[in-house]
Amino acid sequence: MRRCNNSFQAYRYTEMSVLVLLSVLGVVLLYLGLFNNRGAIAGVGIAGLLAAFVLVAADWHLESPLFNGIIQFDTYARSFSLVMIVVTVLLFLFGIDYYAKVKENVAEQYALMVFSLIGGLLICSFTNLVVLFLGIEILSIPLYILAGGKRDSFRSGEAAFKYFLQGSFASGFLLMGLALIYGATASFDLAAIEAFSTALVGGQDMIFLLGLFLTIAGVAFKVAAVPFHFWSPDVYEGAPTLITAFMSTVVKTAAFAAFYRLIANLQLPGAVETMLVVMTICTLFLGNIVALRQTQFKRLMAYSSIAHTGFLLLAFLGTDARTPEVLFYYLGTYAMATVGLFIVLTLAKRAALGDENIRIFRGLFQSNPWIAVATLLMLLSLAGIPLTAGFVAKYRVFVISLTQGYLWTTVVAVVMAIVGIYYYILVVREAFTAQEQESKPIVVAPLNWLVISICGAAVVVLGVMPGLLRM
Amino acid sequence: MIAALLLLIPFLTALLLVTMRPTQARPIALVASLASLAVVLFAWISYTGGTVIHYDYDWVNAWGLRFVVGYDGVGLLMVILTAVVFPFIIGAGYGQPEDRPALFNGLLLFTQSFLYLVFLAQNALLFYIGYELTLIPVFFLLLFWGGADRRAITVRFFIYTLVGGLSLLFGIVYLLIQSGGNGDFTALANLSIPTSTQLWLFWALFLAFAIKLPIFPFHSWQPETYYMAPIQGTMVLGAVMLKMGLYGVYKLVFPIVPAGVEHWQTTVIVLALIGAVYGGVIAFRQSDFKRLVAFSSLSHVGVLCAGLFAWNTYGISGSFYQAFAHAILVLGMLYLVGAMQERTGTTDMGAMGGLKGHAPRLAALFLLVLVNAVALPLTQSFVGEWLMFAGLWQVNGWLTLFALTTIVIGAIYMLYAYQRVMLGPDRANVTLQDAGMRDHLYLVPLIAVTLILGVYPGPILELVDAPVQQLLSSLSVH
Repeated sequence: MRRCNNSFQAYRYTEMSVLVLLSVLGVVLLYLGLFNNRGAIAGVGIAGLLAAFVLVAADWHLESPLFNGIIQFDTYARSFSLVMIVVTVLLFLFGIDYYAKVKENVAEQYALMVFSLIGGLLICSFTNLVVLFLGIEILSIPLYILAGGKRDSFRSGEAAFKYFLQGSFASGFLLMGLALIYGATASFDLAAIEAFSTALVGGQDMIFLLGLFLTIAGVAFKVAAVPFHFWSPDVYEGAPTLITAFMSTVVKTAAFAAFYRLIANLQLPGAVETMLVVMTICTLFLGNIVALRQTQFKRLMAYSSIAHTGFLLLAFLGTDARTPEVLFYYLGTYAMATVGLFIVLTLAKRAALGDENIRIFRGLFQSNPWIAVATLLMLLSLAGIPLTAGFVAKYRVFVISLTQGYLWTTVVAVVMAIVGIYYYILVVREAFTAQEQESKPIVVAPLNWLVISICGAAVVVLGVMPGLLRM
Repeated sequence: MIAALLLLIPFLTALLLVTMRPTQARPIALVASLASLAVVLFAWISYTGGTVIHYDYDWVNAWGLRFVVGYDGVGLLMVILTAVVFPFIIGAGYGQPEDRPALFNGLLLFTQSFLYLVFLAQNALLFYIGYELTLIPVFFLLLFWGGADRRAITVRFFIYTLVGGLSLLFGIVYLLIQSGGNGDFTALANLSIPTSTQLWLFWALFLAFAIKLPIFPFHSWQPETYYMAPIQGTMVLGAVMLKMGLYGVYKLVFPIVPAGVEHWQTTVIVLALIGAVYGGVIAFRQSDFKRLVAFSSLSHVGVLCAGLFAWNTYGISGSFYQAFAHAILVLGMLYLVGAMQERTGTTDMGAMGGLKGHAPRLAALFLLVLVNAVALPLTQSFVGEWLMFAGLWQVNGWLTLFALTTIVIGAIYMLYAYQRVMLGPDRANVTLQDAGMRDHLYLVPLIAVTLILGVYPGPILELVDAPVQQLLSSLSVH
């Protein structure tokens, strides 16, 4: 393979070619919509994503700054990008069945997801805060539309509206924060800001501090950390299930990658550290405790998503060299389990004529034993039971937080992990309880069966051999 | 090779049963469990003392998880116990109604495989993984085949146990960080942890085992779960699962937080004995045979735990010896519960009575199982209890006296149970079948083991003695 030299600049921009490829893919998908050929749309989408995967993966360790150093596709960015692309592929595979009965605008859904993915790739590779903001907007704006994808559904519209309003508010925070940081440091460049924060150690700069607060608040909104989580249960519930799955996997992964990239090398002032600890504890607490009261599966998943945000934030505390790898592993395996579960939900919901109560999983083991076992594995993984990936992920988080000396925060997290097991096990119990009266059986299309199996197998394989998924 | 066979025979058979659903599931499971018993007997014969390590692989080394399996004398005893018990558990199914036998026996064998992992693990995280994994098949055994109110009770059992489990995980992670990421038991035992830390770390580690056993006041999940579970499920819980608690204390608590043990020793003994007496008294009040067995198990386990925490050669050896005896006893008692249920259709002792007239041989078998329960001399329990009380005596005479009352209470409720079931006016009004070929095949070996080991405890005590001596002498060096 030809290696890039200075003499042949264009070839150095392989990363840019990913962004270009995906943008073109989105446009192509939109045009394909004109012919209303659904099979082709998903097929082309998946092919394009796989091509993007190869482009990202092929230059695994290339670390070239792009566009005058505002983007850097380092190992970190590439790893997270790959996870996001893979998850999007799985969701597209699911989409073939999910959109099978939808009459119009299917192409737009796929295209908007691709556009949103581009934003995700940008925010996990930024080295300049302007790109962070742009990326978050590119990520979010398609989502505002997608959340309202079911045009006839009141809830879907409500979700889109809520998400849009609160999202704009968070963007406002973020923008204000970035402006203040610029005011303090006279730069948008991450390295310059890091240098500023290092020089500041021991001193105080209110503008910088306020800037950090607001910026973190803006990003915390995207990861649904308490107290910036209010949008997530309603939006998760109202949005079409496929989009909910997309939000809780791809968007979450991107937001966390961006969050950590932002604060990884900053010397955080004490007040910000405290803010992070408080945010972590509150997120763990609220997410898990409120999830206990949920009987609607999508709301349950929303609060469980908040709870997992808490565990991920726990890995942020302190400065541990292992944090990026743990985040990567956690988010990757969390995404696998979540995608599978949302597909199972869709199928069960269909059989139950739109009901979302966890009771709809009843009889799953009777009618589809293998799907029930896969569901079991994914739920156990979210709960963090050994030999599933979720256990390894939580265990690593605990190791990091204890190494960093956050003894009591870890104790809270352990207690909350127990609470978490409770609400997941209730779903397991439903799936393995026999159905009392006859109702429509849960039908699993071959493609969905494949995706669920992949997700179920992945959480076990990655749990037994965690080395397979590393940066 | 031995370790691989032990882990894989039940696991692969279980996988086969669950996926292929063959019609002859129970015989296949029985053969598999007998095969693993044969392997264990071979391991026992070829065991010459010391700690045998069979495999030592890095798994996720950077995070302290290594696949190290092997056993010392106590570990081997636990492996033997597991191997001996499971053919009986599977065999007990022959008297039970058959409902999805492939799945049922598959789950039983999964449990056995994970139990082997627990008893073979020489790495704290590996131990923890096995410890939690055993819960999964048992969860389904209870959820699918449990009695009334099984949905609520199963979840309670699961969560209760996991509370302990995560507390244990927290303790293990803490220890791992102290040891620089080496999770092997040998490395953890060499840590010198400040006494102030040991005082709370003791509870982080011990809580899991206190719930698993269970000792007072962590026992509230136990009676209902034992009662609700299918008979074979109760056998798994009572005969082997709770022994993980004893073994865990021996492996994870004693060598690692000795100062903590020293500090909390009396507290634990007192709690355990309160549970023992309490369990016995409640057992006396039960009119249901199965509940009685549940509470008697609670009582016995209290004494087991107290003996273990006597923390001397007599106490620890006696506790493990008695653990074996208790497993045999639980199998016998629960089999009888099943046999009664099969014949009278109930486990309520009030509805029984006068069965001896109809079934004299069954009554005789019952009595022979029962003498072990009341720790009559020449039975296995006598040896174990005697050792434990001798051990406790070295700690505190008054506590020993308190503990001895459990023997009296035990004799009372057991003989009273016998009286209500077998003697008195005939209330069953049914033509009962006397003990048949199957009952004899099942109970006679159990009774034989009890009596042989009651007269000749040497083989088992030899296994336990050396590692316990070693443990205690290594602690006095600290």
